[in-house]
Amino acid sequence: MKRIIAQTRKELTQFSRDRLTVVLALVLPVILMWLIGSSVSLTVSDLPVVVQDLDQTPMSRRYVETIRASLTFRIVPLPITAAPESALDKEEARAAIVIPSDFESDLKRGKSTEVQWLIDGTDANTANVMRNNAKMISNAFNQQNTVSAAPPIDVQMRFWFNPGHDSDQYIGPAVFAVGLALFPPLLVALAMSREGEQKTILQVYVASIHAHEYLLGKILAYMIVAIAEWVLTLVIAIPLFGIWFKGDPTVFLISSFLYLFCNVCFGAMAGASIPNQAAAIQAVQNVCFLLSFLLSGFVFPISNIPSWLRWVSGLVPARYFVEVSRDVFVRGGGWPATWHVPVVLAVLSLAFLFKGWMSLRKMQVDA
Amino acid sequence: MLERFFNWRFWPLVFKELNELRRNRRLIGMMLLPPTLNLVLLGFAMNPEVTDLRLGIVEESRSAESRELISAFAESKSFRPAAYYSSLAELTRALSGGELEAGLVVPSDFATKRARREVAEVQLLVDSVNSNTGSIAGGYAARVIGALNEKISLNKTSMGVESRVSLFYNAGLQNSWFIVTGMIGMLLVMLGSLVASASMVKEKEVGTVEQLLMTPAGSAEIILAKMAPIFLLLSVDILLSTVVGNFVFGVPVRGSFTLLFISGMLCVLSGIGIGTIIATFTRSQQQAQLMSFFVNPPLSMLSGATTPIEAMPQWMQPLTNLNPVKHFAILARGVMLKGVGLEVLYPNFLALVAFTIILVGVSAWRFRKQLN
Repeated sequence: MKRIIAQTRKELTQFSRDRLTVVLALVLPVILMWLIGSSVSLTVSDLPVVVQDLDQTPMSRRYVETIRASLTFRIVPLPITAAPESALDKEEARAAIVIPSDFESDLKRGKSTEVQWLIDGTDANTANVMRNNAKMISNAFNQQNTVSAAPPIDVQMRFWFNPGHDSDQYIGPAVFAVGLALFPPLLVALAMSREGEQKTILQVYVASIHAHEYLLGKILAYMIVAIAEWVLTLVIAIPLFGIWFKGDPTVFLISSFLYLFCNVCFGAMAGASIPNQAAAIQAVQNVCFLLSFLLSGFVFPISNIPSWLRWVSGLVPARYFVEVSRDVFVRGGGWPATWHVPVVLAVLSLAFLFKGWMSLRKMQVDA
Repeated sequence: MLERFFNWRFWPLVFKELNELRRNRRLIGMMLLPPTLNLVLLGFAMNPEVTDLRLGIVEESRSAESRELISAFAESKSFRPAAYYSSLAELTRALSGGELEAGLVVPSDFATKRARREVAEVQLLVDSVNSNTGSIAGGYAARVIGALNEKISLNKTSMGVESRVSLFYNAGLQNSWFIVTGMIGMLLVMLGSLVASASMVKEKEVGTVEQLLMTPAGSAEIILAKMAPIFLLLSVDILLSTVVGNFVFGVPVRGSFTLLFISGMLCVLSGIGIGTIIATFTRSQQQAQLMSFFVNPPLSMLSGATTPIEAMPQWMQPLTNLNPVKHFAILARGVMLKGVGLEVLYPNFLALVAFTIILVGVSAWRFRKQLN
């Protein structure tokens, strides 16, 4: 135990001497979180559209007003000579709406009429949102302006947990996971692989410290760094995304601790198995950042990943942390909903720790 | 003239770099394999499509009418009845636990109100923690109910406005088409910067820059020769990713491939420029890597390559114009999906040319300054 603490103190001294790394380690997670939190979202609003009104009657103008009133669309002017489709080609508009010339007369005669919505399908998700909105705008127009009777079935929709469709509520809690997934393992992996690259591991070999003590000492040192990062990120995230604990935070606190531990163990494992700093960075970057970003259900739902790929996400710690973090900040389900998260994180940590210990012993033999 | 061109001392330098690259098999692999793999992985994984939403049902009115309503939900591909609950409280608990995406409550007076031709109300609870899924689910539900209403009151629908939607460029709404066309530029810029900074810093770290300086070659020639092999290899990547996109996801190339290829090469050059600039600011590979964490995430996230630009905060949207990845994404989508050419895409093409000139110019200037 004494030797572990001595090793931890040595690591922390070494770490604090490189001022640039200390600053980067504390500042980068916050910057990354802010950047992801403000830019990564699928919730679109104010999509530019052009309208070609061939009718030019009070009724057709009222339809245009209905479009203008929706939050999703913003009408941009269309040159008189230009065809509406050309605005889609030039990325000036995401949709072009054509109101036919007999719009008002048809409606007055009690006939139905069709408004054409030409939608840019390049971005499939946004196109889907626009398609739904096109139908809703026509429905809203019909209810206000035609004498059709009340519909037989009326659906009252209630959006739970996040009624304002605020994407910060969804992205914000998950952003910790991604920001914290990258830097703690990166730092510990660098510290480990440096020993292998510069062969200083031999000095450890001749000292009277065991492989597991040495490994735990390093992990403990970077756990302290990771916890500092965690506190800083959390303190900034709460006002930035306007979130607060909805329920019992103990499961979140315990999971956070285990999550950091899990990531540090992963970094130690990667560093111990790859005695080359550049390659170790690549490995950690690919696994921690790319996989946490893509396969954690952070933006893109896990259920959409093809099943042959989906099992990989079960090994990504961030996936579980995203679950618990969303629960505590948005749903408030507490222990009954998320008890499995700490258990899985503990199991993953132990697996990484064991693998790291094995590689470290091998590294000492190889050196 | 021609002889002078062939005797130019630039060529031996290029051969030296090519030889070095040939021996470094891992680097070649790193430049050709991961981009392709990434493209496939991302094309499959980054899919915000909303289908098969799990719907929990509280059916208080056990009647033919309520079953008609539930089967209307089940028949749409968007919803899948997952479980029935006996009370609203149970449904709420399942929704909080994340077992369901939506819940439908059919009240006990549903059938009687329908029989009396009054407005029958049903409640739909949507989990909108994921605001995108939530709003799309709401839209689907409105469409399901709308279609059912039309079916019930056939005689009344002959009046009113109908939206006829036609989808352009990507009629099947394949999300992978969006991701693949966006990712190509992102991978080119990122790989270009990563490889360029690594190879420049290595020369500095090992101290061979001085040896290069002692040769009669000028600093511009040294930089050009260093960039040439990276440029060649990454150009192969453009071809490779287009082919992979076409075979795996069926992404078409409807416009001119030449335009796509030239824009891709411009993208690679800007990436190399970024990498070289990073290399001049750092002393070791480790520092260069940490530096690239400052540069690469903003480049990839503020590009609209994988998420729509319209979803970013208003003040941030104009900033994306400073990003070469964004312009390439528009060019790639224009050429591959829309089938338009330079006559439409010239603003983005010119922007890309301008970025390339600026980035390569600044990097050459910084590098030369450092050599002296």
